[in-house]
Amino acid sequence: MSSVPGLQADCEELLGAFQEADTVRFERFAELWRERRFHTIFYGRIRALERNKLTKKTLELAQQYFLPPYAFQIRVGALYLLYGLYSTQLCQPKQKIRIALKDWPEIQRFQQDLIDSQHYDAAYIFRTLRLARAFHFTAMPKLLNYRTKKKIQENEFKEEFKDPSNRVNTLITNDVLEELMNIHDHYQKMKCVISADKSQPDKALSLIKDEFVVTLKDITLEHQEWQQNRMKLFLNAKETDEISNKKEEGTLLESEGSERANALARIKYRSYSAVVEASKSRRHRQVKLESSDSGSNYGRSPNRSKKNSRRPQPARRRDSLEIEGEMQVAKETVTRHIGMPIITEENSDE
Amino acid sequence: SVDMLMSSDKEKDPDVIPEDSSLLTLRIRKKALERREETIIVDRACRQETLAYEMESHAIGKRPDNPTDLVEEGELLLTLNIFYPVIFQKHKDHKPYQTVLVLGSQKLTELRDSISCVSDLQIGGEFSSQPDQAPEHISKDLYKSAFFYFEGIFYNDRRYPECRDLSRTIIEWSESHDRGYGNLQSVKMEDYTFSDLSLKIGFPYLFCHQGNCEHIIIITDIRLIHHDDCLDRNLYPLLIKKHWLCTRKCFVCKMYTARWVTNKDSLAPEDPCFFCDVCFRMLHYDVEGNKLGEFVAYPYVDPGIFN
Repeated sequence: MSSVPGLQADCEELLGAFQEADTVRFERFAELWRERRFHTIFYGRIRALERNKLTKKTLELAQQYFLPPYAFQIRVGALYLLYGLYSTQLCQPKQKIRIALKDWPEIQRFQQDLIDSQHYDAAYIFRTLRLARAFHFTAMPKLLNYRTKKKIQENEFKEEFKDPSNRVNTLITNDVLEELMNIHDHYQKMKCVISADKSQPDKALSLIKDEFVVTLKDITLEHQEWQQNRMKLFLNAKETDEISNKKEEGTLLESEGSERANALARIKYRSYSAVVEASKSRRHRQVKLESSDSGSNYGRSPNRSKKNSRRPQPARRRDSLEIEGEMQVAKETVTRHIGMPIITEENSDE
Repeated sequence: SVDMLMSSDKEKDPDVIPEDSSLLTLRIRKKALERREETIIVDRACRQETLAYEMESHAIGKRPDNPTDLVEEGELLLTLNIFYPVIFQKHKDHKPYQTVLVLGSQKLTELRDSISCVSDLQIGGEFSSQPDQAPEHISKDLYKSAFFYFEGIFYNDRRYPECRDLSRTIIEWSESHDRGYGNLQSVKMEDYTFSDLSLKIGFPYLFCHQGNCEHIIIITDIRLIHHDDCLDRNLYPLLIKKHWLCTRKCFVCKMYTARWVTNKDSLAPEDPCFFCDVCFRMLHYDVEGNKLGEFVAYPYVDPGIFN
């Protein structure tokens, strides 16, 4: 049985709009939902048997956005979406949301995060769903069914929804840094104890850089910022591509052009390479719109990793409030989603 | 604070797709509906669809009269697909199957009893000379052995003294040469419940009875029991989906299901030929019950008998 046609596009559009709104409040989501009258997604004279199947598939699709590796905001959006779909479904008795056992601890952690960051509306919604017995606890996330289709559709979900895969961050977490700090202190103290002068370690014993924990933290922070900037620039690049496709002119920052067009454009250009190809062919136009360095940067996908470090600079050099505003937002989102930078600064402030 | 203003502001008919919808899903669905309206004359649920829906939902929410039969919390619910041994040409791509729900605490024997296969009802023997004496013993009573095969272990039915260990041949075969199969063991079916087994979801296992009637069993889902499920233990294993097989009708009257099949019949236009009971006797026997013509006749049980 193939998936419901058009459903993924609609869900991604809604979640995309929610992500743009840059908030996790339920009121905002409800507004977006009402705008689109999403509850009508079940309408259309469907008989009972098919309605059951359809609802099951819809819930399954929405549930996939609820789990990692998606960004925090997308996951909260998915939670709201699940709540909306579950409440407005027309099946009687209601079809349930399937959660695999292996994902359950992750979801509990997510709920704990919500409570800790005081997003009480999201936590309340989750609790409501649980009280309403909306979940089926299963062994496997997807219900097996046997398809005779020759090719299996690979569901490619949008790159923007995913949290930038922050392997550096998962390695150097809060706890790790704290422990490193503690060990470092302990080490210094040991050195002091065994050296002649009790307040200072012997010069002969200084084998490591004293500030290395702080330096490590700074480097990881920098890496994170760079990643955020890169994502922002990438998004901007895609928007500008679309606009230059539509109009002959236009400035870089006219990215408030129709959200719908952007969403459709994003659906079309799913992979990074596709975008870069387009911009290669339009390089002559690109140069008109932006500074020449970034224009030449876009063209070269293989050398991206080298040229990437130069990208944040053009961003900073552009003196437009919006870009700076976005960077500010990026910083804030960094602090809100990941939380690590602020806390370690407080800890290791010296 | 949570607003519950999620649902529609006005009451709308769920059958009508709103005109100005921005949802892609609805636009596509609308087109499909319009196309259907143009091409299909009558659009309502056919028998098969009603039956399928009924089967799926007939036991939802049932509670037992006797509280000891209540399924407890934390019980596992497995969904098994049991495939028919039918090998018709048209079933090459997707084999027909029936779906059964079982509880984790149920014994394997309960599942075995609930599997209804047409080969169990066969009556052996040729009865052209004495049609009235077709015995009442069906194969199910005569050959009671059966086994399940899960993960390298054969679970044999040993409840009755007539049951033999069918898996012994297989185990001896695999041990005779180094065929690459690990240790195959044979145990009793009645000692095990589903919770005792270690299973793979989606992996084909085997159920064999009557010596050579083999069914493939695939487990599609394991989950915890839910408030809305049927909580009456007596109703499990519960059949929720069945493949509808067309029954073969009598060649003469085309109304009743065939109960006899004849071979090498001089009175019949084709070989083999199917007859219902009445037509069979009218055609092949005279008023006194003497056999007319040459033929061999066997009692026939149609696979669609469980519809």
